[in-house]
Amino acid sequence: MAKQLAFYVDINKCSGCKACQVACKDKSSLPVGVRWRRVFQYEGGEWIDQSGQMIPSNVYAYSVSSACMHCAKPICMDVCPTSAISKRDDGIVLINADMCIGCRYCSWACPYGAPQFNEELSVMTKCDMCHDLVDMGERPACVEACPYRAMDFGALDELQAKHGTFADPAPLPDPSITEPAVVYTPNKVTKSSRNANGRLMNLEEL
Amino acid sequence: MNTREWALLAFTILGQTAAGLMIVLMIVRAYLAGKAGNEVADRLTNRPLFMVVPIMALALLASLFHLGSPLNIVRAVPNIASSWLSREVVLAVTFLVFAALYTYLQWRKAGGEGFRVVIGWITVIIAAVYIYAIGMVYMIVTQPSWNTLATPVTLIAGSLLIGVLGMAAGLAVGYAGLKGEEMKAISTALQGLALSAIVLLGIEFIVLPIYMGYLATQGGAALQSLTMMVGPYGAVFFFRLLVLFVGAGVLAAYLYRNASVAEKEKTLTTLAYSAFALALLGEVLGRFIFYATHYRIGI
Ligand code: SF4
Ligand code: SF4
Repeated sequence: MAKQLAFYVDINKCSGCKACQVACKDKSSLPVGVRWRRVFQYEGGEWIDQSGQMIPSNVYAYSVSSACMHCAKPICMDVCPTSAISKRDDGIVLINADMCIGCRYCSWACPYGAPQFNEELSVMTKCDMCHDLVDMGERPACVEACPYRAMDFGALDELQAKHGTFADPAPLPDPSITEPAVVYTPNKVTKSSRNANGRLMNLEEL
Repeated sequence: MNTREWALLAFTILGQTAAGLMIVLMIVRAYLAGKAGNEVADRLTNRPLFMVVPIMALALLASLFHLGSPLNIVRAVPNIASSWLSREVVLAVTFLVFAALYTYLQWRKAGGEGFRVVIGWITVIIAAVYIYAIGMVYMIVTQPSWNTLATPVTLIAGSLLIGVLGMAAGLAVGYAGLKGEEMKAISTALQGLALSAIVLLGIEFIVLPIYMGYLATQGGAALQSLTMMVGPYGAVFFFRLLVLFVGAGVLAAYLYRNASVAEKEKTLTTLAYSAFALALLGEVLGRFIFYATHYRIGI
């Protein structure tokens, strides 16, 4: 059994520039509206009125780059009626376009919004971890593109040994649902899924 | 909702109608056969029976419009081990095949009485499992407004309600010209159907507030769904309750009262058809809200 592969993102280094998202679109020639990798801007806190003076209270903002998590418990794969979704030995979860009937059931189920329907092809598509590049010993396009070197890619256990096991910066969901193969390094203000009290910003960019 | 989602709604409603009708039909047939003999039972139940197959065929046709790549539909079988959607599709097709077989046998009076009854009840079992499977399709952990016991319960109650009132309409049409034992049997059957409709309505009206209370305590995506149900979709929501109440409550009560009065077949037919139409509309509106107000956990 090969080792489960995973993405890593350091939220301290991420500026929210979305270079990873653009590199992904370019590498996989994604049509308008399909974004296998997305960068979520999350912010919270408030301004308190103290006798006419507005004082910021716990105001924070940070960005979370996310794509398919190539989960250990891929709920997408469980619900797919056709077995179009499979998990490789190295953990990469793939959709076989020839088998997909486009029922969208996987997109109802995945809590990461990873499966996205391609209207041109009439099938569901999602991040394939650039398995073609990976099979040639290279790294996924998003990881290579990050100008801040905030991303990494490799065996999940090695990334966890180096960076810990934090996997659910808000707005990402509770990791116990699908056991995502991902590691994040939080910055000072990062909330976890359990104490998420902020909101998503710039929704029109998602 | 777009075309694809309407297709899904049509698939579900038509499938529920065919399966619900089949279940109720066999129960009523058994009762009539006991009271007035097989010949009468067949004569009175064949008319609604002939509706089952066309409705189910339409359901499957509608399902194709939901799919992005309908030509691959035959591939929807392999994941039966883990996917409820796969099971729903397989059960829908199996139900159609058995319903068609039973209808053919009844139509041609082929295969002998006992054999026909066995095939009929096998079809009922498949119909029941099929209805259950439709509900289970929506039991997805990441869809809190769907992932509750209320989903299968409401779906089963709704299917039976349509079946009960559809059957009542089918029986009322055959009421004219009956006498003696036959007439007594059919009016008792109609009364039983009317009472069942009221009980099923009661179940729906008990489950609904519990369900909404549950959504309110869950917060997050569940609360978001509830807010949509009573907010932007509030008018549809309350209109549905009204429609159900009038159809399965008020009209069913009138149906009950008139069922034992001779010479009332015109009134009965009108009552039964109106009640059926309203129950169907109520189910369509319910499904519409169901699909329009779900929110997935996560991003
Ligand atoms: S992130 Fe979603 S699509 Fe990707 S493996 Fe997990 S459940 Fe499946
Ligand atoms: S859309 Fe395709 S991949 Fe997703 S559940 Fe349906 S058949 Fe499977």
